[in-house]
Amino acid sequence: MPRMSRHTINFLKGMAFLSPWLVGVLVFTTIPIGLSLYYSFCNYPLVQPPVFVGWHNYHYMIHDRVFWISLNNTLLYALMSLPMGMVIALALALLLNANIRGLSLYRTIIFLPSLIPLVASAMLWLWMYNSKLGLINITLRSLGIAHPPPWLTSTHWAMPALVLMSFWSLGNTVVIYLAGLQDVPRELYEAADLDGANLPRKIWHVTLPSISPVIFFNLIMGIIGSLQTFTQPFIMTQGGPIRSTYLYTMYLYDNAFTFLRMGYASALAWVQLLLVLALTALAFWTSRYWVHYQGR
Amino acid sequence: MTRHLKHPKPIIAGQLDAGAPTRSGQKRRWRRYLRMAVSTSMALAAALVLAFGPRGVVKAPPHTTVVEYWEKWNGTEGHQMAEIVNDFNRTVGRRDHIFVRYISTSSIDQKTLTAIAAGVPPDIAGLWNETLSQFAALGCLKRLGAMAKSYGITAASYLPVYWRGCHYHGHLYALVSTPAAVALLYNKAIFQADAARLRAAGLNPNRPPRTLKELDRYAHALTIVSPGGQILQAGFVPMTSWYLGDLWMWFGGHVWNAQTHKFTLTSPAVVRSFQWIRKYSQWLGPQAINSFQSGEGNFDSPENPFLAGQEVMEMQGPWMANYIYNFAPHMSTLRWPKSAELKLPLSQRYQNYSWAFAPFPSAVPGLKDVSYCSFDCLCIPRGAKHPRSAFAFIAYVNQQPVMEKLCALHGKNSPLAQVSRNFLLHNKNPYIGVFEKLAASPNARSFPPVPIGPQLKAELGITAERVGLLKDTPRHALAMAQARLQRLYDAFHAMQLRRQAITGAGRGYNP
Repeated sequence: MPRMSRHTINFLKGMAFLSPWLVGVLVFTTIPIGLSLYYSFCNYPLVQPPVFVGWHNYHYMIHDRVFWISLNNTLLYALMSLPMGMVIALALALLLNANIRGLSLYRTIIFLPSLIPLVASAMLWLWMYNSKLGLINITLRSLGIAHPPPWLTSTHWAMPALVLMSFWSLGNTVVIYLAGLQDVPRELYEAADLDGANLPRKIWHVTLPSISPVIFFNLIMGIIGSLQTFTQPFIMTQGGPIRSTYLYTMYLYDNAFTFLRMGYASALAWVQLLLVLALTALAFWTSRYWVHYQGR
Repeated sequence: MTRHLKHPKPIIAGQLDAGAPTRSGQKRRWRRYLRMAVSTSMALAAALVLAFGPRGVVKAPPHTTVVEYWEKWNGTEGHQMAEIVNDFNRTVGRRDHIFVRYISTSSIDQKTLTAIAAGVPPDIAGLWNETLSQFAALGCLKRLGAMAKSYGITAASYLPVYWRGCHYHGHLYALVSTPAAVALLYNKAIFQADAARLRAAGLNPNRPPRTLKELDRYAHALTIVSPGGQILQAGFVPMTSWYLGDLWMWFGGHVWNAQTHKFTLTSPAVVRSFQWIRKYSQWLGPQAINSFQSGEGNFDSPENPFLAGQEVMEMQGPWMANYIYNFAPHMSTLRWPKSAELKLPLSQRYQNYSWAFAPFPSAVPGLKDVSYCSFDCLCIPRGAKHPRSAFAFIAYVNQQPVMEKLCALHGKNSPLAQVSRNFLLHNKNPYIGVFEKLAASPNARSFPPVPIGPQLKAELGITAERVGLLKDTPRHALAMAQARLQRLYDAFHAMQLRRQAITGAGRGYNP
């Protein structure tokens, strides 16, 4: 039997150590992704064998009114929650970066909501949005607003209510901004001070360019996250009223597990992936104009 | 500038431990002891919980067939079903060496479906009637006709509406675990408190409305709106009903023609039912209805709008009696405590309640005792390992005394043709007779046997919302829903036929 070279033995040992991960990726990620691509060209009710139908699912999507409604709702949600969420998170991070008393307490308070499970926070916000007994409307009434909005039952207010709620769990984003802010070289601020820059100018000309890679990272994560939002509307509004909060992932889920149209759901998932890819690519393309990396 | 640090004093090995213990050394030792004590006690507690703590899975006795039973109920209703399972395991199960393992799970239909697809289904699944046709059409369920016959369970054993509901294309796919019927729940106390207003409107405060027109008049008389347009007390609001998408049943309508395989959402009776919903929204205003709905508390809480006195009349099922007793006991114990009341004749028992049930009035003259009869059912999924043993349990649940025990515990009517006097007279819900009468009526209706049932339910609900919030006219909204549903059904139907031709699968589908 020929002796294996030391290099081969090392390679095999390495592969043996890697094998749990490799098997995991293959079985739980690569194969399902491949299968979902195949199923997207099939009629597949999950409990019966798939039948190949070519581009039918994608063609159906074009004429599917509910597909467009859910896509429109999702883009609207992303458009409302992402920029506002990023601005609020950055503002909070700037405040938490200041040298004030009780800083750790404030940081804990801001971060704490992001540790609460999504289902629990959705249940909590259901109560907050109750038009009679909810904290928000009680506060609004005490401020003199006689008819505060019926948050979750109105087609006009249900989506803004979900967006507003999304700001509650910005803790993770704030922490990432905070880490970026603490990496901004102090010399740049000292130089800005010498040039007589005031606080807004320092933020605009020093802080934002310095943390632009962090902003970019949060933007990419935000795009992906907001296009995949599911739990909150699923629990709080079930997509209603009149599908005004029916998001893309909810339609995908309903098709897969309620309507038993796994083939169509797979096609929806691939369109979602392409959408996320396109938006991420767009963000990467624009990044050359506004993201500055140190040392470049 | 280079900083020159002083060379630190060298530490001699063992110097820290040598001599008298320092204060910081003592502190450190105490901290170490404390850490050890905390971690030891935590480990001990964990070991004790593991050894003697509650068990998630009940151990089956040796040499028995274990039947896995997945059910949607948790909480009180789950415990009550578990009680029936325990009864079975103690009696029939012990005799026939069958052990039923009850597993309470959420999203029962989705979990059952994925388990069937994976080839590891439970032996019994507790599904809803509204998904039964979908499951049956896709061949997910075993046909139970022959087994039912061998246990003497036939059409004669059941009330027709439930027996029909358990079938799909002439085959039996399920038997009922607990049924329900929908009736009018009304607050007798508010009827009396607002008697003057009712009388002024020419209405009788001592009885519920008997026709839909009368219901409208009662609703008008009992509704209180603030000067700002907020609904303070709603006589009746269709938009808050769980059965908003099923109201066409009370108008004599049909949404599905099984002969022609066509949806009939635009038929005059269905359109009229949606016009009726719209009429209420035009009267109260969609804003006020939105506000009212948004202010409702949780159903299973004292803030439930009926219990809080915000809604005077509602469409409800028989289970509401349990909820009222649990969350507003004062409404069910006006004169006697519960234990004393149960011994009294029915005519007296009614006096103990500030609420009552009556048939929900129909819109069509002469069409009496209309009700939507939904039910929870027991099915045997395709690929179940022990179908015969599973059916032994299903048949046990369908014995009259067992069924009556379960239905009485859940506060529901019985699906069986025979009902004991005891069940009617000494039920915790004194109005159970109303539901028995409704379920036995020739006008009792079940969910249409459509293989795309979930889509039908979703579209009907959304259409009703569109109409109720005045976003669309009934005719147009229904036409849109009909077009979408028909397209979905036609695609489903064509695909099932094609699948049959190609793979031979979908034998359960019988167009």
